[in-house]
Amino acid sequence: MTTMVIQLLITGIAYGLIYSLVGIEYTLVWNSSGLLNFSHDRLITLGAYIFGGSMILSLNLNYPVAIIVTLAIMGCVGALLAMGVFNRLRSMRSNIFAIIGTVVLSKIIAEFIRLFWGSGNMRVPGWLSGTVRIGNFAITVANIVITVVAIVLVIVLQLFFKFTKSGKAIRCVQQNKKASALMGINVNRSICITTGISTIICAVVGLLVIPLVNISATMAITIGLKGFCAGVIGGFGYIPGAIVGGIFIGIIENLATLVIPAVYKDAVSFIFLIVFLVVKPTGFLGKRA
Amino acid sequence: MSDKNELLLKLTDVSKHFAGLVAVDKVNIGVRKNTIHSLIGPNGAGKTTTVNLITGVLPLTSGTVEFMGEKINGLKTYQIARKGIGRTFQNIKVFETMTLLENVMVGGHQLTKMGVLNTIFNFRGTAKEDKLLKEKAEYLLDKLGMYHLRNHTMKNLPYGRQKISEIARAMMTDPKLILLDEPAAGLNPSERAELVAVIQKSHEEGMTFLLIEHNMDVVMNVSDDISVLSFGRLIAKGEPNAIKNNDEVITAYLGSAFVKDQSEEKNQP
Repeated sequence: MTTMVIQLLITGIAYGLIYSLVGIEYTLVWNSSGLLNFSHDRLITLGAYIFGGSMILSLNLNYPVAIIVTLAIMGCVGALLAMGVFNRLRSMRSNIFAIIGTVVLSKIIAEFIRLFWGSGNMRVPGWLSGTVRIGNFAITVANIVITVVAIVLVIVLQLFFKFTKSGKAIRCVQQNKKASALMGINVNRSICITTGISTIICAVVGLLVIPLVNISATMAITIGLKGFCAGVIGGFGYIPGAIVGGIFIGIIENLATLVIPAVYKDAVSFIFLIVFLVVKPTGFLGKRA
Repeated sequence: MSDKNELLLKLTDVSKHFAGLVAVDKVNIGVRKNTIHSLIGPNGAGKTTTVNLITGVLPLTSGTVEFMGEKINGLKTYQIARKGIGRTFQNIKVFETMTLLENVMVGGHQLTKMGVLNTIFNFRGTAKEDKLLKEKAEYLLDKLGMYHLRNHTMKNLPYGRQKISEIARAMMTDPKLILLDEPAAGLNPSERAELVAVIQKSHEEGMTFLLIEHNMDVVMNVSDDISVLSFGRLIAKGEPNAIKNNDEVITAYLGSAFVKDQSEEKNQP
């Protein structure tokens, strides 16, 4: 029993870190542009298709080159989206228009994916496959890579925000756009950089989940929703909150399989989302957020 | 003295219309270099709108704004800030979760080269640049008597301190002109005295200010020139004494209470 619980905890942390990354992505776009980006699940899917469908299966590039090219393309996609869509949506009179705008964007990306790569599923043979045994525990390579990459990414993001001019400018823009502009900060450029970063995170998530869910048009819908749950449960608009919220739901939904059939584990996160929205809408770290 | 006759900021026939409302109506103002120029007027006179037009927060309906001889209307807010115009706000706009020191340093960040690649490949250079910024911010905070509060989070500081910190933040941008939008509002008398001292000291060091203020003590104490707006129109401009005695200004802005105070002062032995 103990072994099983530890095994579930390890899996839960890995999945939780995926939700955390999605939550961070939500948080970055929300804080910088004030938009709830409902197209991010499609951006995760787009990243996975570019990597798996084009870089590996079509162009036969090796993994490091394929990863770098995919992330670069997704960064540019993010910056273009910010310039062409997000910066315009955020200026709209009602947030509802902006939300609908991101939903429509989601549909456009979905149709683009279907047009470009077709509607079939894809697999990337050998990508993050295998299992490592540590004592009594069997840990998948995918879970190890997810954990390491997520932790490194969070650290790199924190260093970027703390030490670089762009990072500091983004922090200012997140708190007060008017004052930032009057301090000489180019607010639109900051939002482009933030959206570029958040789209790169989407691509990283897309790459990491390929061994878990395969590449398909719907691969990121549940992950995207759980990333939103992570943000709300941890404290929306606060990056440490997204990390805490993600790990929390990752662990809880995996431990829940001890008492409920695994097929219902997705429901656990959504039940917690509703409970938090009703009882503690500010989330775990809400006061700080 | 010749320096003081040189116009740093020039507004020519500046107008701003909001649908049918004329908020600013063909206003002409010239701010001389190394002076404190106050812009006064009753509530709704168009003072803050004028500042928003100068800083690019709002687009002009007509007219031109020139800074150091260069037309700046049409530029974006951040571009105008980088030309050397700093600003504080009527309603404070601080970065709440940052410390006081970080807040002030923000003003200088955009003048540095701390880009991503520089930070990675020239970390020492970036660290040195950051250290210089920190020293400058600490110097300014010391000058404002707030050095001991430098590590406090902004949202935990009293309102008056937050307000004065905006001046330090504006100074960090190396401005040639600072627009102060009602800096004394909400300050207690001792904070107000500190504020006046800060403005006067910076002025002595060569800074030019455009001051929007309701508090007449502050305005009359520090101003070299005063422009008076009423219902969006410029109704008077000149030196403090001339403004004090201008009938139109007294009627429009200072009102009967001020006139009464003045006559009581005169009648005192």
